[in-house]
Amino acid sequence: MTDTYDAIVVGAGHNGLTAATVLARRGKRVCVVEKSGQAGGMARTVDYAEGARGPEIAHLLYNLSPKVAKDIALRVETRKLPTIAMSPDGKHVEMAGDTLRFADGTAHPEAEAYAALRKRLVKFARLLGQLSDAPPPSLAEGLAGLRDIGGLARLGLNVKRLGKQDMREFLRIILSNAYDLLLDDLADGPVAGALAADAVRGCWSGPRGPGSVFTLLYRLGQGGDVLLPMRGMGAFETAAKDAGVEMRTRSTVASVMVEQDQVRGVTLDDGTILQAAAVLSSLAAPLTMQLAGARHFDIEATRRLQRMRAKGTTAKLNLVLSATPDMPGLSDAQKAARLIVAPSATHVESAFNPVKYGEASAAPVLEAVLPSLSDPSLCKDGRQVISVIAQFVPHAPDGGWTAAQRDDLSKRIIQTLEVHMPGLQDLITHSTLLTPDDIETLTGAPGGHWHHGELSIDQLLTVRPVNGLSRYSFGVRGYYLCGASAHPGGDVTGSPGRNAALQLLAEGVLS
Amino acid sequence: MGVASYDAIIVGAGHNGLTTGCYLAKAGLKTLIVEKNDWIGGAAVSRSLHDGWTYSNCSYVCSLLRREIVRDLELPRFGLQVIPYEGGATFTEDNDYFAYMSDHNALEREIARHSPRDVDAYARFSQTVMRQCRFIRPFLLRHAPDPTSLHPRDLGELAFLVKKAHGLGAKELGETIRFWTMSIGDFLDEHFESDLIKAHLAGSGIIGTGLGVYSPGTAYVLLHHYMGDVDGAIGAWGFARGGMGSISKALGMAFEEAGGEIRTGSGIDSFRVKDGKVVGVALENGDTFDAPIVASNMDIKRTFQRHVDPIHVPDDFTKAVNRFKIRGSSAKLNIALDRLPEFPAAPKDAPFLRGDLHCSTSLAELERGYDDWKDGRWSSEPYFDMLIPSQIDPTMAPPGKHMMTVFVQYAPYDLERGGVRSGQNWTDETRTALANCVYDKMEQAMPDIRQRIVHAEVRTPLDIENEVGLTEGNIFQGELTFDQLLFNRPVPGYSDYSTPVEGLFMVGSSSHPGGGVMAAPGANAAREILRRAGKGKSMPRFAA
Repeated sequence: MTDTYDAIVVGAGHNGLTAATVLARRGKRVCVVEKSGQAGGMARTVDYAEGARGPEIAHLLYNLSPKVAKDIALRVETRKLPTIAMSPDGKHVEMAGDTLRFADGTAHPEAEAYAALRKRLVKFARLLGQLSDAPPPSLAEGLAGLRDIGGLARLGLNVKRLGKQDMREFLRIILSNAYDLLLDDLADGPVAGALAADAVRGCWSGPRGPGSVFTLLYRLGQGGDVLLPMRGMGAFETAAKDAGVEMRTRSTVASVMVEQDQVRGVTLDDGTILQAAAVLSSLAAPLTMQLAGARHFDIEATRRLQRMRAKGTTAKLNLVLSATPDMPGLSDAQKAARLIVAPSATHVESAFNPVKYGEASAAPVLEAVLPSLSDPSLCKDGRQVISVIAQFVPHAPDGGWTAAQRDDLSKRIIQTLEVHMPGLQDLITHSTLLTPDDIETLTGAPGGHWHHGELSIDQLLTVRPVNGLSRYSFGVRGYYLCGASAHPGGDVTGSPGRNAALQLLAEGVLS
Repeated sequence: MGVASYDAIIVGAGHNGLTTGCYLAKAGLKTLIVEKNDWIGGAAVSRSLHDGWTYSNCSYVCSLLRREIVRDLELPRFGLQVIPYEGGATFTEDNDYFAYMSDHNALEREIARHSPRDVDAYARFSQTVMRQCRFIRPFLLRHAPDPTSLHPRDLGELAFLVKKAHGLGAKELGETIRFWTMSIGDFLDEHFESDLIKAHLAGSGIIGTGLGVYSPGTAYVLLHHYMGDVDGAIGAWGFARGGMGSISKALGMAFEEAGGEIRTGSGIDSFRVKDGKVVGVALENGDTFDAPIVASNMDIKRTFQRHVDPIHVPDDFTKAVNRFKIRGSSAKLNIALDRLPEFPAAPKDAPFLRGDLHCSTSLAELERGYDDWKDGRWSSEPYFDMLIPSQIDPTMAPPGKHMMTVFVQYAPYDLERGGVRSGQNWTDETRTALANCVYDKMEQAMPDIRQRIVHAEVRTPLDIENEVGLTEGNIFQGELTFDQLLFNRPVPGYSDYSTPVEGLFMVGSSSHPGGGVMAAPGANAAREILRRAGKGKSMPRFAA
């Protein structure tokens, strides 16, 4: 059986869906092949239990590219959430935009320093954010180089426009570490802790690691607002369907067909052949190479792809609660906020230590949300769901994950939360733990890493995913990488997907 | 009696201050160097602290000293002789070792003994490192351009950088960006499979820093230790005959021959500033001297936090100085030995014993050492770089006896005791405990080491700060991280060795290109000072 399309997208994560939608909205016939039964990848809403739904992995939007939203006519209703930095002494701190105050409404002594720091960071982040909506600058000479020198020149000009003082500050901090940056201006407590946790969430790095300022800025690229998508993350799938993308779920691509250095389509594992002049893979870069076959790549590219670092450190715990938990010190409205448990930047760094040796943090750093408080459609019968991202958790502890280790991890996460939510344990009716290993099994992301590859300076921009393959076109004519391991990286942005699709069109593969 | 007046005064007779002094004196400036200790040299000294033995008790080996400067100042004429050492080894707990040897075939056989695959890996590793060395070396004796400046000189330097980078080609440039930003641990993991070989090579990536082997940027630190040479052999290291003080001695003699004057025994009280311009110095002993040019060989924190009244500099500058990171992370043991210790694992008289010896056997062990340090403890299993120079240079110890230098990573400046972190926690008791911890680990290579010790000097970061004047005892006068390199070093906007105080210059290692006994900051600063004094032509440009 053979079907023919203009383009085939492997994987229905939000980047695969974005790439497909961009092409479909330009009149191309596109098919997305997804191995699981439900589109969405890491951005899926699932049943935590009968009648209680919530985000499976990613739970917030803070980095969605407006260009993506426009290009794929994404319709997503969001609610802006404040952040609460939970303090061990109960004096929690509310962070909303540039304002900082204690959760009880009283003034915070660092309000001014925080506002100044955040304004500065957001200003820098917006500059960097400009780089996200286009392929990374090319180091190659010739016409391709000239064409995108435009983007780089614009960035250079904008950096220059910052004025001498800001420009110097930008160049000083851009490659440095968040710990020093934060503690130069803030005392080491829950506020610095929350920012340090933001800087390294999803990363194999502590806040003292150089490069953690970049990952902090990465999150702030669209201004840093924390948005909860109402009714879950399904908007990408809806946009794809509206654009006429054909979805084949429960289908697995066995291989990408290549003839004479040109992509011809894909073979599914049931033998079905789908023909197309273009194939876009939203899988991680090494897997994308393997689908086409390593023989189509030069030895250096193969070596680099195999060495791409992707050590996931982030686990997910999804709980169903019989009622809203008690949170001393927080109002009902504040309970719906993004809750960060990271008592200090030093604590975040210490929590990172064990994962370097294959162990989980004894006192994990948490980002928790109760989406059902903002979006009652998720739960019936007064129950609530709580979605927790926990760091730092190794991808593969020595000897692999055992049931006992999993229980122990769940227990540690719950105990850490219970400090701020007394009685939480007794409210839990369902609990689902996803270790980085589980996340890899579910989504295929290597190491369960949510950026499909460490977002470190040596794997960014022109050297992302690897040196020589940074411009989406992936070794073989018509073959494109459109997932998070491509520039600019992960988070629910849609940018790699959009950039890849536009690059494919610009390179005339479908003309 | 009037105040003695000079054309230029340099505060601190470290190797950089002396280098600046040589160039200023040679250009005809009446130059004075003042030094708080009774001896010159800063951290490049040879001290006799136990009868008959000479210790290089701070810096201990030589490679980075720019050969252009050695030649230009004719330092060999003043007795400087650098003897290369060849090889090194890391000893394991199970009586084995990995030896580094300069003989290529022997090295290949030794690598293959641990991992046949790593023979190829080593070839790729050394090719990459050597390529990066060749790329960086031309920049060491040049200004770091200020990218915010439109000054023709900055634009010119920027153009030079772009030209060199462009010359690499797209692929190589990509690799260069990666190398400069990645961690030494990741870089070695990409190449090698043997933990022991990785651990042996990784040390150069962390020596002197407040970073772990898995901290991004440590591959650059490794480069910083490889970019030197001995007699043109890039990456080689050697002993200065008579100890590292011979370098300072030669520089001092060159300086005095050029007409310079050195006054030891009194440190600075303050830099005297009038109407935003430096006018001289006031010493602790009450002496004051006038000069329109004053250079500080001290690090930028010590210079401005202790010796310049903050009313003379803008608040932004003070803030930038305060946040400049200088973190004590290393200790030093200098040991007199009654004879050469036994190395049961090594063949008798193995040549590699004359090189740098270590006992850290995995990257994880090194990284754990860093975790200890972050919490204010010395590494429970410290990394050390240990040499016995008296095997090559007999002037360091009495006949038949030996001198050993042990550089220890990591030891914090603000040691944690009972929940309190403070330099004051370094007492005789903690100092001895640190030494014992190091000896325990040394026994891995030399079970009889404790019996061999005749005398040992234990220098904590606090001791190094107190004696040499380096803030927190940091050997580089400031962390070698991206935010403190090139145009960011020491403070953005002041990478040209100047300061907000007109006539006051920074010539020490907290300026570009940073620490190590390189003398490049001192020479670069001298060029800037002379250029501003209208004597730019009196100093060679040094071909890149």
